[in-house]
Amino acid sequence: MSDPTVQQPGPGALREAGGLAAPTGVIHDIGYRHYDGQRLGRGHALSALTLNSLRGVFGLGRTARAKIMPFLLAGVMMLPAVVSIAVMAMIGQRAVPYGAYAVTMQAVLAVFLAAQSPYLVAPDLRFRVLPLYLSRPVTSVDYVIAKLSSMAMALFLLIAVPLTVLYVGELLVDLPGPPMTAEYLAAMATAVIYAVLLASVGVALASFTPRRGLGVASVIAFYLLTSAVSAVLVGVLLSSSRDGAAAWAWLLSPFFLVDSLQVWLFGTSPNNEGGYPPDLGGPVSAVIVLAIIGVCVTALVLRYRKAASS
Amino acid sequence: MGLDSVRAMTILATEGLTKRFPRVTALDRLTVTAGQGVTGLVGANGAGKSTLIKLLLGLLEPTEGTATVLGLSPATQAMDIRRAVGYMPEHDCLPPDVSATEFTVHMAQMSGLPRTAARERAADTLRHVGLYEERYRPIGGYSTGMRQRVKLAQALVHDPSLVFLDEPTNGLDPQGRDDMLALIRRIGTEFGISVVVTSHLLGELERVCDHVIVIDGGRLLRSSSIGEFTQATQSVTVEVEEGQEPLAERLRAAGRQVAVHGRLLTVDVGSPETYDAVRDAVVDLNLCLVRLEQGRHRIEDVFREEVSSV
Repeated sequence: MSDPTVQQPGPGALREAGGLAAPTGVIHDIGYRHYDGQRLGRGHALSALTLNSLRGVFGLGRTARAKIMPFLLAGVMMLPAVVSIAVMAMIGQRAVPYGAYAVTMQAVLAVFLAAQSPYLVAPDLRFRVLPLYLSRPVTSVDYVIAKLSSMAMALFLLIAVPLTVLYVGELLVDLPGPPMTAEYLAAMATAVIYAVLLASVGVALASFTPRRGLGVASVIAFYLLTSAVSAVLVGVLLSSSRDGAAAWAWLLSPFFLVDSLQVWLFGTSPNNEGGYPPDLGGPVSAVIVLAIIGVCVTALVLRYRKAASS
Repeated sequence: MGLDSVRAMTILATEGLTKRFPRVTALDRLTVTAGQGVTGLVGANGAGKSTLIKLLLGLLEPTEGTATVLGLSPATQAMDIRRAVGYMPEHDCLPPDVSATEFTVHMAQMSGLPRTAARERAADTLRHVGLYEERYRPIGGYSTGMRQRVKLAQALVHDPSLVFLDEPTNGLDPQGRDDMLALIRRIGTEFGISVVVTSHLLGELERVCDHVIVIDGGRLLRSSSIGEFTQATQSVTVEVEEGQEPLAERLRAAGRQVAVHGRLLTVDVGSPETYDAVRDAVVDLNLCLVRLEQGRHRIEDVFREEVSSV
């Protein structure tokens, strides 16, 4: 073997010479250069992964096909805001209350969650990219945090952007009476709760299978099942005039659960038929929300700790 | 060779390192050290090579024993180790829908490089491993050889002090294998990055390693410099069309150590005159000389002897 320390111009150098140094006819191989610049810590890696994942959720940096679904759904989320502004401008009435926005659009949010959470976790499992992350200065907990927060941010954007457009529209249209700033801010705070709760459930369910289709199916099944059970129970209980029990049955649906929490926290009007359980309903909703988030995050952490050591 | 002084710095050391899984003991009281340069880690499939790398990266906890990598302990300083070390896994680990450039930039950021530095390093590294225009295309369309190069690039992109390459020649054709081995040699010499490379093929490592560690069933069989492996068995293989016996007798008469393996004669090389003696003997006997080459598969012989004696 020839002495490998002698620097021979490789094909790369020739190519470069063709593009850059051709006029002088000199081939330069600058050889391997060491990196002695900055090396940032875990926080940097965490934010890089979060940002990369967030971009990926909206299909940015991916194929054109990957952009269709998220942008279509984001567009649909904007519709009520646009219509509402038009209604305000033309007949001077508010169409969609801020507090009802997310609950009204729950199907769109659920489809977005189901379609996009598997993208966040399934390819890393399926194509075994995970070991590359875990052999870098990132822990499995960092990975979970990055994936959860990117999904939560995406959902927050999905709810918050139309709300903000609606609010700006309201200010521009300048309806009689003061603007509904308090309602807007309450809805924005509730959007954070929606985002964190839905992201935890979606990512946790999706992380259990490396198959994207299965992930989509399991998240959408969760939404349909909880909504259907809740709706059927409410219907049955109302028809047998047990209104008190029916009010509790609403809480089985994740969207009405957060709505009930919103009613308790910000005193908004309930967006279901018949309202939520008085007194205990609010605190119980809060506890359930926290419990679901806790269970999902714990499941994720355990799941990735196991993946790290296999 | 002057390598002894360079190798004086220990890059990794294990002391009684043991890893037991519920059903199998992957590593059994392994005590080895490796210095700078290229170290080959040889063993059959399931000998414990990958487990050793995972223990050294701090991805697995040892059952017993200790290890140090670059003077750091995987048990307590795994983050510092992973910042300074690169890892190329044995298995596929590339997402198909992103380009090699995007993927390598992302992985550089995950190792703590700021965004602009990550871009520069990714471009440099991909050029060094031999990926040019194709690096902008999605990885899904790459050949096995190109994938292996991307895997290598992501391990080198943050300019580590040490890289673990797990079966880098897996699945490559003979040409691809040669290219990869030459690249590994360059990494160890020109780039000045220490390399630990695993393989189940001993003949391959002979060409690139300074030091070879042979493990089998999780136990150390042998650890020595490549010189020691071949010194003891300096020999020349002679192939003639016919007349092996007369040639062997003539060489023996001239005081050479000769062994006959079918059509091949193996002659121990005591001094450079041995080659002359072989040439003269072939000419005098008027034989048809097909091949005269230095013993190539000697490490395998050593391995075979040691396995049979264990």
